[in-house]
Amino acid sequence: MEQMPHVMVVDDDREIRDLLARFLERHRFRVTAVRDAREARRAWPNGHYHLVVLDLMLPGESGLELARWMRSQADIPIVMLTAMGDETDRIIGLELGADDYVPKPFSPRELLARIRAVLRRTGERSAGAHEDAGRNLRFAGWTIEPTRRRLVNPDGVEVALTAGEFDLLLALAERANRVLTRDMLLDLLRGRQAGPFDRAIDVAVSRLRRKLEDDGRHAQLIKTVRGGGYVLAAAVERL
Amino acid sequence: MRLRLWPRSLAWRTTLIVLAGLAVVQLAGLTIHALDRRDLIRIAEAQEAATRVMGLYRVVVLTPPEDLVARVRAMNLPPDMTVVLSDEPPGLGLVRVPVEIQRILRLSMLLVPLPQPLRPRESRILWDEQELRVVIGMRLPDGRWLSVSEHPPPPRLLHAPGFLAAFALMTAVAAMLLVWAARRLTAPVRVLAAAAERLGRDVNAAPLPETGPSEVVAAAAAFNTMAARIRRFVADRTFLISAIGHDLRTPITRLKLRAEFIDDDELRTKFLGDLQQLETMVASTLQFGKDISGSEQPTAMDLPALLRTVLDEAADAAPDQPAERLSYDGPEHLTIQARPMALKRAIANLVGNALLYGGAARVRLLPPPSGERPPLLRIEVADDGPGIPPDDMQRVFEPFHRLESSRNRETGGTGLGLPIARNILRAHGGDVTLANRPEGGLVATASLPV
Repeated sequence: MEQMPHVMVVDDDREIRDLLARFLERHRFRVTAVRDAREARRAWPNGHYHLVVLDLMLPGESGLELARWMRSQADIPIVMLTAMGDETDRIIGLELGADDYVPKPFSPRELLARIRAVLRRTGERSAGAHEDAGRNLRFAGWTIEPTRRRLVNPDGVEVALTAGEFDLLLALAERANRVLTRDMLLDLLRGRQAGPFDRAIDVAVSRLRRKLEDDGRHAQLIKTVRGGGYVLAAAVERL
Repeated sequence: MRLRLWPRSLAWRTTLIVLAGLAVVQLAGLTIHALDRRDLIRIAEAQEAATRVMGLYRVVVLTPPEDLVARVRAMNLPPDMTVVLSDEPPGLGLVRVPVEIQRILRLSMLLVPLPQPLRPRESRILWDEQELRVVIGMRLPDGRWLSVSEHPPPPRLLHAPGFLAAFALMTAVAAMLLVWAARRLTAPVRVLAAAAERLGRDVNAAPLPETGPSEVVAAAAAFNTMAARIRRFVADRTFLISAIGHDLRTPITRLKLRAEFIDDDELRTKFLGDLQQLETMVASTLQFGKDISGSEQPTAMDLPALLRTVLDEAADAAPDQPAERLSYDGPEHLTIQARPMALKRAIANLVGNALLYGGAARVRLLPPPSGERPPLLRIEVADDGPGIPPDDMQRVFEPFHRLESSRNRETGGTGLGLPIARNILRAHGGDVTLANRPEGGLVATASLPV
């Protein structure tokens, strides 16, 4: 049997901590729940953790500082619990290299899905990927800002994307000039997408092409690969 | 008609009042000048007349008496002057000319050189009231009377052309100075009005500069104090709303976790559904509080891309619905300055309402109507629903107001969608209005500066 992943939950509310621990344990995780940064540091050496669920609003030392400390200790994925709709927290968190964020009040099932997606993504990730996580990507004059989830055109004008389109573009840009099959894209994006996404990938690509002013019949940026895949054919630099 | 004569603007009213005053003063000055000049002219004219008359007298007195009648008849007189030779003095029924004029005339007549024995033995200066003529009678040495009568020349008080031009120029310069000064002095009122207008749209608008004349400084300071109080009031209210919203997060999170341990599937689903609704309401309440403070910075953004994104997200959220209910009509690209996240929320609220109550959302992006100042883009969101009774058109913009027909929670509205959209659009310098379409359905029209 596969080893149960070990998750550290850091939240100052005792009820949420205990309930979340019970919930995750029920879904086959090993859980260590602590109330603040001090307890987290004390519990740190005791277990080999696979992931941390971290509330940003902690009494005493802030969640951001704790996250920074944890990052300095190990290349461990962090899912942050942020204040609902608080952009600043989310941006700082993502710039710091958090792997995902879930706004409070969160749905336990969504948190579970995110935890699983992050674990799956980081399973194959190379060391040092964190350093690149929050950095802007530029290709053919376009700039992707992952932390702000913004796409800016060569004239400096922001071009709105749906959540799905943004994730798709980011996935393609992070693996530029590599062919990504529909299945690979599905796998990369499933963490965030609620519904069925396979047909949606083709739809999202065609919408993306229109927004990138990339003519569908003679697409230069996002090229269709025979046999069912897409590739971003452009030099991508990290800023 | 009164409104047309009496201008609306303070600057023009001030100009008009001071100009009227100036005109009165100028008229008075002109009159004084003219009266003063009249006396001078009178003296000069009297002297001239005396010389003329004495010239005639001289000719007459030097003519031998037997030739006199023929001589007088043959005299080459200026027009409008008559000479009569008679035995009687002129002027039965004529009035005496005022003494000072008589004096001037007599004096002037004395100045004309003539040997003493030839001088008139007697003279009379009279005024013919019927004919408006001056009649001067002189007794010749032989005893007969020579009467000369003429029209006094009309007084040409404002005679000099240079004077009138200078006067007109002076008046014109004064009037121009006045217009300039009035506009300058009333400028702070316009600035104040513009600031009040800005404050109405954006509570965080920059304060008025407290410079200029003391009254203007006082008004600007009072305005800034008022703006600060409004800001504090809004901030307090926003803080209150946010605090409640934040404090609700923890219990909602706990409840959601607890619900996961309910074994009865149906009960759990209903429980989670209620919690979802509660969370949506808290989220939009927080959003309502946040939009007022307007923390996001404006940036250059592509408006059609944003409209398409909102429609695409609506389509993604309900993939089983027919695609025709969502459409976009307008330019492919158009760059505007706006707060992208806020604006997206406003448009998403309008599109969401159209889908929820009208079953469709047809979005059109239109250029500003020609001649509009300032030009505002139009974003129309039309649906196929029942529309809204005209009496409710304004009330639907009040927070938490929901139409009776949608009071039912099944439709899922929180009563904050339109107020939030309106707050956001107004903060952008635009607005949103609703109207029932003649062909049925409702159309929400958002306006945005170009």
